[in-house]
Amino acid sequence: MHASVYLPLFIAGLFGLTAPRLALRLPPAAATWLLSVGGLIAAAGAAASLTLLGFTLVAQAQPLAESGHWSITALRHEDPVLAPVAAASIVAVLVLAVRFITAGVRRACALLAAHRLASGLPPVGQELAVLDDPAPRAFAVPGRPGRIAMSTGLLRMLRRDQRRAVLAHERSHLSHRHHLHQTAAVLAAAANPLLYRLPAAVALSVERWADEDAAVTCDRRSVVEALTGIATDTGAPRRSGVILAAGANDVQRRVRALQAPVARLSIWRVALLVGLLVVAVVAVREAAQDTERLFELAQAAYRSAHR
Amino acid sequence: MQTRRPAGGLESEVLAALWAADRPLTPGEVSDAVGGELAYTTVQTILTRLHRKGAVVREQAGRAHAYRPVIDDAGLAAQRMRAMLDRGGDHAAVLTRFVGTLTPDDEATLAKLLGAPAPPGDRPADEVDS
Repeated sequence: MHASVYLPLFIAGLFGLTAPRLALRLPPAAATWLLSVGGLIAAAGAAASLTLLGFTLVAQAQPLAESGHWSITALRHEDPVLAPVAAASIVAVLVLAVRFITAGVRRACALLAAHRLASGLPPVGQELAVLDDPAPRAFAVPGRPGRIAMSTGLLRMLRRDQRRAVLAHERSHLSHRHHLHQTAAVLAAAANPLLYRLPAAVALSVERWADEDAAVTCDRRSVVEALTGIATDTGAPRRSGVILAAGANDVQRRVRALQAPVARLSIWRVALLVGLLVVAVVAVREAAQDTERLFELAQAAYRSAHR
Repeated sequence: MQTRRPAGGLESEVLAALWAADRPLTPGEVSDAVGGELAYTTVQTILTRLHRKGAVVREQAGRAHAYRPVIDDAGLAAQRMRAMLDRGGDHAAVLTRFVGTLTPDDEATLAKLLGAPAPPGDRPADEVDS
């Protein structure tokens, strides 16, 4: 096994570092997809690398070698991975698996809670749920169907076009299933701490996406004004992580993005990120083939020793 | 500007407009508050639907009706019951079982409500608000 097995780890780090910054310069829909799906691929590649690194050491255990018919001495002799590196990889895989599963369970619980909330918010059977609260609040609750929640305080504060902007913004969160993109980013970051910046980057990019959708329904200035109106809001229920609160995220950057010329889909930025991921996938394939060859050698040694 | 309004989106806009107002609104006023391009009959239809679902209550305002949004506890419970009834399929069967679970006091209240003479021009069957 040569350097290719380490490459996906390096790429996960590079993706985690550069993707959030590059995504800011892309149209929000493309940025969101790249960050969420790309993050999962980067995390999976790194996890596969660690597993391959660790497996050569695990395979040196007596019972496993017996049942697999490979020679432990040959494996130890041919394996270029240092034992401490392999041991560290095993520990890392176990820790990251626990983190991933914990995040998954937590996320599933939050989704369930949101679904329950979505079906219970008054008035029942309406898209719009009204909260009797003087504070200006608005958020989207994913569910079947999802709900748009707005506080009475906010509704009384907004003009007609601004109300329409907020409705369109929250509707965009629901119809494009932004909570699933966020879930992907959270899971990727749990599976690999090098991707720790992804959740915040996806959160910002789905808000930009919803802002752009709102700007199609009514004019940009209404969206900006509605946004700054809700920006004073701090009371949105953040405990349930799948609820998307308007105004809770980076309002200044979003206002700047709305006022700037619409981001163009830059081919080289997309190509750079996609290229990184392709290299990671190819490297994992390469490393897997190397590992297979290694075990074939060890099995051949086992056969000649037991003839 | 009338662009990309999804189904049910109009109901949200009407409801939002009613909540934004500080007094009950007539269909004409709702039409103004939502954006004048909506036909009066469309607004009327949406308001009737919202009323049937228990999201708004209706008041007499001169010759027209004025609508006011509600979310008090009784209204919310009524909305939930209404939603469950719709989900249950066979209304007669669900109602029969439901009435069977009521206390004598509740039954008396229900009988009184249903037996009360309806004011002319109003439809008591539609009244689900508090």
